[in-house]
Amino acid sequence: MNSQRIYLWDLPTRLFHWLLALSIVAAVITGQVGGNWIEWHAKLGLLIVGLLVFRVVWGFIGSTYARFGEFFPTPAKISTYLKGAWRRPGHNPLGALSVFGLLAVCALQVTSGLFANDDIAFNGPLLDLVGKAVSDRLTGFHHLLVNLLILLVALHLAAIVFYAHVRKDNLVKPMVVGWKETEGPAESAKGGGFVALLVALILAAAAVYGASGAWMPAPPPPAPAATTPSW
Amino acid sequence: MKSKLTLALVAATLAASAQAQVKVEDAIKWRQANYATMGWNMGRIKASLDGAYNKDEVIQAANVIQAIANSGMGKLYVPGSDKGSGFHETKVKPELFTEGAKVGKIAGDFNAAANDLAKVAATGDAAAVKAAFGKLGGTCKSCHDDFRNK
Ligand code: HEC
Ligand code: HEM
Ligand code: HEM
Repeated sequence: MNSQRIYLWDLPTRLFHWLLALSIVAAVITGQVGGNWIEWHAKLGLLIVGLLVFRVVWGFIGSTYARFGEFFPTPAKISTYLKGAWRRPGHNPLGALSVFGLLAVCALQVTSGLFANDDIAFNGPLLDLVGKAVSDRLTGFHHLLVNLLILLVALHLAAIVFYAHVRKDNLVKPMVVGWKETEGPAESAKGGGFVALLVALILAAAAVYGASGAWMPAPPPPAPAATTPSW
Repeated sequence: MKSKLTLALVAATLAASAQAQVKVEDAIKWRQANYATMGWNMGRIKASLDGAYNKDEVIQAANVIQAIANSGMGKLYVPGSDKGSGFHETKVKPELFTEGAKVGKIAGDFNAAANDLAKVAATGDAAAVKAAFGKLGGTCKSCHDDFRNK
């Protein structure tokens, strides 16, 4: 078989991936440490909102292998893969399940965080939209769900080790450099040009702004000094 | 004579236990009220740290937290108060009643952090207050993580 080199993961997809991995790890740590780190936890959360929205938009207007339509795992594709007859580059149908699972759980985690509170000195930026009682329940959900997120990431890493050692397929290198050696015919990724990038970045920025709560009406100004009793 | 003595003993025992034993419902109410009050005062300090620093406001708030921390809150975890309702259903975990050494360690750290915050607040040094505030918040969280249901 003749092997060739194709351009698999475009730069935005790769940057998305490594920034997401770093910020998720940092969010899990800062969430557990608490104290003043909760401020960084919230900032990381906003970064993650931006990354996820960027990735969703890029799943429609990015380059070939980054598009959701390209790797959406239908039962037919999964059964082809399980029979060992899958030959296309990009996320394989089982890997695609993990991709969508990771994206969905990250999205739920970050969304619940925006409404959460710690009963100490921190309120999520969107807490006022739902009130304290709902916020408390979402906080409980936030604490529970992170265990699932950690489990999925562990599976993700285990799968990568499995492919490297058992299948002799290094998935990490293409996610770093973009290029992959493939056997048989395959085409390099196309599309996802400058305009698409700009659109995705603008939508991501809009989502971060929405999540930050900066648009919410400011709380009523404190009562004038004269009416605040000194006791 | 003997029956009088018994009566006096019973009365004394009752009086003593009435003094020491808070009713379960009251115990839960008062601890919830104390925690909520600390929450109020943590919020006041945070507002000062995030916005314009108000030294007097921070001193008032830190003193309240210090007073509650040193009030002997442990007495509000009377036997049987692992379940029940005060202002609302209690969220305490049963482990708080069985893991004495661990609770004691956390409560000790919490007291020390509250004392430290009050001391630093008196100086009006915002950066030092921020550090002490973060440390105190960490001790609140470590107790909530281990001993309070979500
Ligand atoms: C020794 C453990 C412990 C420490 C330390 C602690 N908490 Fe709590 N906290 C609890 C428990 C247990 C509850 C649940 C009480 C209940 O429902 O019976 C609680 C409940 C609360 C509540 C909810 C009160 C309500 O309305 O029912 C707030 C707010 C709170 N804590 C804030 C704080 C703050 C702020 C600090 C630190 C300054 C703090 N707590 C330190 C154990 C602790
Ligand atoms: C918290 C940590 C991580 C999260 C949340 C995460 C999430 C994801 C997601 C969502 C994708 C899909 C990429 C896309 O199409 O957009 C992906 C792919 C990938 N990730 Fe991660 N990742 C994490 C850590 C890591 C680490 C540490 C490595 C490497 C050691 C890694 C290696 C890869 C590789 C190689 C792929 C491509 C898989 C394929 O070829 O199908 N990831 N990851
Ligand atoms: C995907 C992104 C996020 C991850 C991975 C994450 C992870 C975590 C973790 C691991 C904890 C500690 C849970 C525990 O100790 O049981 C936590 C708590 C918390 N997080 Fe997040 N979080 C994320 C996003 C956010 C966002 C965006 C906010 C709000 C802006 C937020 C607010 C909180 C709050 C208020 C707590 C509660 C702390 C407490 O109960 O003491 N989180 N998070």
